[in-house]
Amino acid sequence: MRLVLALTAALLLVRPAAAAEELPIFDAHIHYSHDAWDMLPPDEAIAVLRKAGLRKALVSSSSDDGTQKLYDAAPDLIVPELRPYRTRGELSTWLRDPTVIQHLESRLARYKYVGIGEFHVFGADADLPVMRRVVELAKQYGLVLHLHGDAEAIDRVFAQDPAARILWAHSGFDRPDKLRPMLSKYANLWADLAVRSEHGSGGKVDPEWRRLFMDFPDRFMVGTDTYTPERWYYVAEHAAWSRAWLNDLPRDLAEKLAYRNAEALLLGERAPSR
Amino acid sequence: MRAALAGLIAALLAAAAVAAPVRFDEAETRRILRHGPWPPAVPADPSNRVAENPAAIELGRRLFFDKRLSADGTVACATCHAPALAWTDGKPRAATYQPLHRNTPTVLNAGLGRWFGWDGGADSLWAQSIRPILSPQEMGGSAAQTARRVAGDPALTCLARASFGAPAESDEAALVRAAKAIAAFVATMVSPRTPFDAFRDALAEGDAKAMARYPQAAQRGLKLFVGKGCPDCHFGPAFTNGEFHDVGVPHMPAPGMVDFGRHGGLKILAADRFNRLGPWSDDAEGEAAALTRRVRATHTDFGRFKVPSLREAARTAPYMHDGRYASLRDAVRHYSELDMNRLHVHGEQLLRPLRLKGSEIDDLVAFLESLSAPKLPEFAPARYSACP
Repeated sequence: MRLVLALTAALLLVRPAAAAEELPIFDAHIHYSHDAWDMLPPDEAIAVLRKAGLRKALVSSSSDDGTQKLYDAAPDLIVPELRPYRTRGELSTWLRDPTVIQHLESRLARYKYVGIGEFHVFGADADLPVMRRVVELAKQYGLVLHLHGDAEAIDRVFAQDPAARILWAHSGFDRPDKLRPMLSKYANLWADLAVRSEHGSGGKVDPEWRRLFMDFPDRFMVGTDTYTPERWYYVAEHAAWSRAWLNDLPRDLAEKLAYRNAEALLLGERAPSR
Repeated sequence: MRAALAGLIAALLAAAAVAAPVRFDEAETRRILRHGPWPPAVPADPSNRVAENPAAIELGRRLFFDKRLSADGTVACATCHAPALAWTDGKPRAATYQPLHRNTPTVLNAGLGRWFGWDGGADSLWAQSIRPILSPQEMGGSAAQTARRVAGDPALTCLARASFGAPAESDEAALVRAAKAIAAFVATMVSPRTPFDAFRDALAEGDAKAMARYPQAAQRGLKLFVGKGCPDCHFGPAFTNGEFHDVGVPHMPAPGMVDFGRHGGLKILAADRFNRLGPWSDDAEGEAAALTRRVRATHTDFGRFKVPSLREAARTAPYMHDGRYASLRDAVRHYSELDMNRLHVHGEQLLRPLRLKGSEIDDLVAFLESLSAPKLPEFAPARYSACP
């Protein structure tokens, strides 16, 4: 009997993510920017997310009004973060535009967010005054920094605030051998897998990525990145694709990457409220 | 008086600048030479054993113009790939039985490609030829109808026998044979030499006199073309790398409808029983199938479309995958004013707005126009006389 139980337990431990097609997904990289609003009004956008089987969606938008529209339509689904960009065209100018700070401060005073981002910063630009103030605001409000940039920018932000929590967009577009030392170095560094394909192509997890996921099971999360209006029609496709490769991992790990890590980082024990 | 003199000097300087011969440095010359020589040899297609068979080429020619392959006998391949329109339909988007949401590309130089269709949903010219025949929106035909047409026409039957030997064992076999014959014909359609080719060869030979015959505006445009990085995608003698890119063109043909582009094409390719890995390929285990075996979709394939050849571009308006630009000038303006917001930061990293001045747009258009021959030859002569 003991042997049967032991075997059963062993089987449960190594059981792959059976029924992973039903895995809830927390999509940690959604934008609802101004050029998407007419094409996909909030109710329709929410319908797209629900149809994809998303449990939650981390949404940032240019402008932030897009995030607020979605949050108003579905507060149970939308997890808002504050993007510094008032229009999408500010991607390459925002770091040298001090009015961004006023924008952020006024929005933070008015609405609740779980993070600031996604924003783009590379190298020494992470020490510019606007970025330094963003780090301070994140600390003041207890927010995650959703940073699209390189390892140097990550280093510089942690140098400013070692207690900062950073969600590294697209896992920095770095390879596992570059990610590993960063994740080892910083306990407060998480990474989304938006626009990355190489870790799970064809429904199989790449061995090097598998080792990384196993070694850092609490750090990764999935995301689509709806950077053009058309990509909203890719959210369901992306969720299905994610479930396929997550199915190649042990169930517990698959669930962490699918939604638990994002919930732990971004929601803690409670959803944001106004 | 002084102002008038200054104006005159400025005008003379400007005129001199315009008239000054265009000089190409070593790097530019190297890049220009890569766009030739022309015409190249059409690569063999091991998946099509009749690709170079004269009887098959003639069979393909006749089938290409044969409306009996369509549902109601009104549509042939040549309906949309019309010889008089440089083998296009001249419309923004194709429309036979139903409107489509993509532009009809020319079949000129199609034999030089490795993926076919704007989405690369076919990996051989013959597999691509099957798509419109079976599509209810395009020709609405079927394997059985194709088999009947060939079997019921003594001349086609004769050509099929001369091409393939024994009669087809099934309707599907007859369809594949027809498609392989059409592909054999299409592959013969290589566009002729152009003013650019004459200049390129003169440059290779250091023949300044011959080079001088190439219009100055085209030379300036060529300098811009190689200097602005256009050959990164419009590469080689055919002015295409044969791959797929997102150049910031919207891809929502109608509200609520999105064109997945290359991402969708790879799904079509994987599911296609006529692909190079399938039972109908004449080389399913060989190198011809290796690319198909290896290719995988990535998230950035969503919204990517095939880089078209620029040869005969002046004759193949309108432009882009959805035919949104009526003129070459409009297409050049697209790249001049590229909307970077539509491109991911880590996506098409080579693309930047060209920010061209008006005269530079003129020059680039002049260069693009020089990629067309003065006249297209007759591509459809009967070359096989052993059958009626």
